[in-house]
Amino acid sequence: MILWLKLIVGASFIFAWGYFIYLLFQTFSFSPRVYYSTARGEEKRGVFYALGAGLMPWAKESASRHLGVYLAGIIYHSGIFVGFIILGFLLFNFKINTHVRFILGVFTTVGLFCGLGLFIRRLSLRELRFISQADDYLANLLVDIFLASSFLSLYVTSFQPLFLIISILLLIYVPLGKIRHCLFFFISRAFFGRFYGRRGVLPHKVNLSRLSGEEK
Amino acid sequence: MSQAELVPKKIEKEKSTKDHFREINRALECFKEKLDAELATSFQTCVRCGLCAETCHYYLIDRDPRSTPAYKLALVKEVFKKSISFSSRAAGSSLPGATVDELVDVLFGRCSLCGRCFLNCTMGINITRAIRIARGMLACLGLVPEGLASTVNTAVSKGNNMGISKEDWLETVEWLEEELQAELNDSQARLPVDKKGARVLYAINPREAMFFPMSITAAGKIFYAARESWTFSSENFDVTNYGLYSGEDDIAGELSARLIRAKEKLGCEEIILAECGHGYNSNRWEVFDWLRQRQNHPVRSILELIAEYIRETKIKLDPARNPEPITLHDPCNLVRLGGIIEEQRYILKKAVTEFREMTPNRERNYCCGGGGGQLAMTRFAERRIKVGQIKAEQIRQTRAKIVATPCHNCIDQLMELNKHYQLKVTIKTITEIVAQALVI
Repeated sequence: MILWLKLIVGASFIFAWGYFIYLLFQTFSFSPRVYYSTARGEEKRGVFYALGAGLMPWAKESASRHLGVYLAGIIYHSGIFVGFIILGFLLFNFKINTHVRFILGVFTTVGLFCGLGLFIRRLSLRELRFISQADDYLANLLVDIFLASSFLSLYVTSFQPLFLIISILLLIYVPLGKIRHCLFFFISRAFFGRFYGRRGVLPHKVNLSRLSGEEK
Repeated sequence: MSQAELVPKKIEKEKSTKDHFREINRALECFKEKLDAELATSFQTCVRCGLCAETCHYYLIDRDPRSTPAYKLALVKEVFKKSISFSSRAAGSSLPGATVDELVDVLFGRCSLCGRCFLNCTMGINITRAIRIARGMLACLGLVPEGLASTVNTAVSKGNNMGISKEDWLETVEWLEEELQAELNDSQARLPVDKKGARVLYAINPREAMFFPMSITAAGKIFYAARESWTFSSENFDVTNYGLYSGEDDIAGELSARLIRAKEKLGCEEIILAECGHGYNSNRWEVFDWLRQRQNHPVRSILELIAEYIRETKIKLDPARNPEPITLHDPCNLVRLGGIIEEQRYILKKAVTEFREMTPNRERNYCCGGGGGQLAMTRFAERRIKVGQIKAEQIRQTRAKIVATPCHNCIDQLMELNKHYQLKVTIKTITEIVAQALVI
């Protein structure tokens, strides 16, 4: 049964990537945005900034105002990443020692609590409930269950089939719902960097270097 | 394109269901025509984390979930889904997600297109652009709020947003030239109009000619001191472009193209834009995208030129002539969306004795509330003054006596805020402050 489940996980993985390719095709079937004006700053520097320093909480008021939520989000995403590493280990029968198991367990557990915290936040804040859709709750719960089952599968072998089933559901859901942002996030940030980079708004050094003299 | 074609058509209030269905589909086509991969990515990326809420000055004041950028984007996303889905277009005769009234209220009435949500979005989604494109779709339905629509129409039909006739404009310049000559005690001082071969074509906000003529004289004084070769155009002198706010790309493109044509007609090397935030964004950045035409001539803000004059010692300033503490309001379209961030600071530090920054400042600054066409849309006036409270508090905290801002839209809003919140400050342009400090 485990073997069959592993094969279905593989098929789900292929489905997820297939759907991603479809989404990318759909998105980029629209013409690329062409800028006709002369750049004031540098697009490349803007893109590097957007995908690097611009992700730091102090670079964005939305993050610095809600530092706890932002950090919870980062830990949550780290946990998910670790969850997929655990899935990889299980799929390919990698043996892991106690120390590695403990570290993976810590990541998934803390990630799970952060995910649940974000779920409660969404439920408890009026403005968040207002903008939320079923997808928001479902995606969060599915990932939380994925994290819980990945942790349990580390220590209890009998939970491994459940973990594989949850992984199948998650992989199918990833491109269909909001979790697709795991791909589009990077594209969107790159566009962000391109815009602000060429206009000379970000990163700041570009703008400062324009003014020579003692006021630099 | 003729001017008559550019005037937005009002949809008839009563029309058959079939006509209505056709109108909705036309609006969705308008929306779809403007879609590109960047916008499509935006609609795939939002996770409704809600962290953007407090970056919006509307939400900070009213705490209404409809003011959150995520909600505004969600409305536009519904339009996006409908525009790309044939089945849903065929099935419905209404815009999705909300009633048309709500779309107008949220996209025109709860957003000043200031770009603060875009800058701070954890995903980097250009919410501002999505809202502007959706405004353009509403414009296809003739749903641009009246004041904004009439401002656009006036600019299209009269050549400038205040409807100033050529005769009145020339008379004003003549009168101001006399004032300048008297001030400089030099009968050769000029405010040139249609001077062929001048290096610089200078475009102003028509409000300057109507209500703030001294800011025109101030610019003339600076050009005189720098021995600049410059000119106004007698016909196309308007730096503003309310098509940016109504979302109508064809109209916006035509309005800005007039300046380019004037530059070519007069044989000028570059266009220098007076202090106007959205005018800078329109004429420096957006126009070339609207026209799908590569930029082949320099377009700069007068702030860049003044900073250059100072750096190259073409003008000398005495900061002692501006002894009162001055703070600076950063216009969103010039700074956050335009990239003119340090020039005004460089100038003010040379021109005044005490410069005080607001907190936050530069690209993180709060919108004054007057952008996005809000000043023209009287139906949202009460809301506009309310959301200006954040700016009023920022100003109050600096304890400055003068607020400098390089934007006439912002000046109008700040003057109202000054009165409403009893700030007891004077509002000035950077040009006026520099002219005051000029050593000639």
